[in-house]
Amino acid sequence: MSLSPRDPLVLARVVGDVVDPFMRLISLRVNYGQRQVTNGLDLRTSQVLNKPTVEIGGDDLRNFYTLVMVDPDVPSPSNPHLREYLHWLVTDIPATTGTAFGNELVHYENPCPTSGIHRVALVLFWQLGRQTVYAPEWRQRFNTREFAENYNLGLPVAAVFFNCQRENGCGGRRT
Amino acid sequence: MTQVTMEEVWKDINLASLHPHRQLNIDHEPVLSNQTPNKSIFQDFLNKPLNQEPPPSSSSTHHGSLLAPPATVISLNTHFIDTHFDESAMFGCFGKKRGQDSDDSRGDRRHNRMTKNRESAARSRARKQERAYINELELEIVHLKKENARLKRQEEQLKMAEATQHQTKKILQRSWTSPF
Repeated sequence: MSLSPRDPLVLARVVGDVVDPFMRLISLRVNYGQRQVTNGLDLRTSQVLNKPTVEIGGDDLRNFYTLVMVDPDVPSPSNPHLREYLHWLVTDIPATTGTAFGNELVHYENPCPTSGIHRVALVLFWQLGRQTVYAPEWRQRFNTREFAENYNLGLPVAAVFFNCQRENGCGGRRT
Repeated sequence: MTQVTMEEVWKDINLASLHPHRQLNIDHEPVLSNQTPNKSIFQDFLNKPLNQEPPPSSSSTHHGSLLAPPATVISLNTHFIDTHFDESAMFGCFGKKRGQDSDDSRGDRRHNRMTKNRESAARSRARKQERAYINELELEIVHLKKENARLKRQEEQLKMAEATQHQTKKILQRSWTSPF
């Protein structure tokens, strides 16, 4: 089903800033501990220290998926000149399984925003084949759209995001 | 209250820089040059909030517009306010230099602060909207689940009723040929 204009992904401009409008085709469940990540969930840095468990849907184990976790609001949402920061990249995830069964090309780095409330998005892409996706050189200035284009990933098949801020409040404004 | 004084003060300063001989409507001694008005007013202004409780949001915003870098934050965190004032004190020393900066850059800074604040407000509203949408969906889920359960029970009951009816029909009975 295509995204409604009131879908949280659209409202938060994740569709727009990170990805283009897409249709949800595969289920994506992300859990930090006991907490399931629903769009717009507010998390603090202490709650995202360790990588989440990610389970994906689909039905054919021969389909492989790539999961990208990015923060488009670096270093601060009011001045995101380092957009985006790549926190995690897992490829070759077979359908119906999870990131534990994939290839962690870029290991999980916990989001640790110092300034403002950052959106952190997890985007799932379908791969044309196994081992067709490679890690970028840097985490900074990552561009999800470009990445998808380079590896023929097409439009996302699923996405979810949460809001992350410093432990003791959003850290105020810095120019 | 502070807000009004502030605006007046800045208006007066703008005019003072153009007409050095003009009398200012404030409690300070009449100022003659461009440089001193900024300094004395800054320091007076800086001294003021130190005596008060954490300043209300309106005064913070104005404070921020004067001292563009480092920026202000509407925060009741006293620790933060202390650091802020340290930096403002530093800024006060450079008041002379800044004072010579054009007066419109001050307006610009204020304008920038305003736009940034607006953007931040817009982001907050967006976050609020997302939550509202999800809440709506969750409520609907609960509602639909209840209805689903109800309808299923209804279906069960109807089936049962039909089944029992069916059973009774298998027993042949005389219905009107005899009273017994």
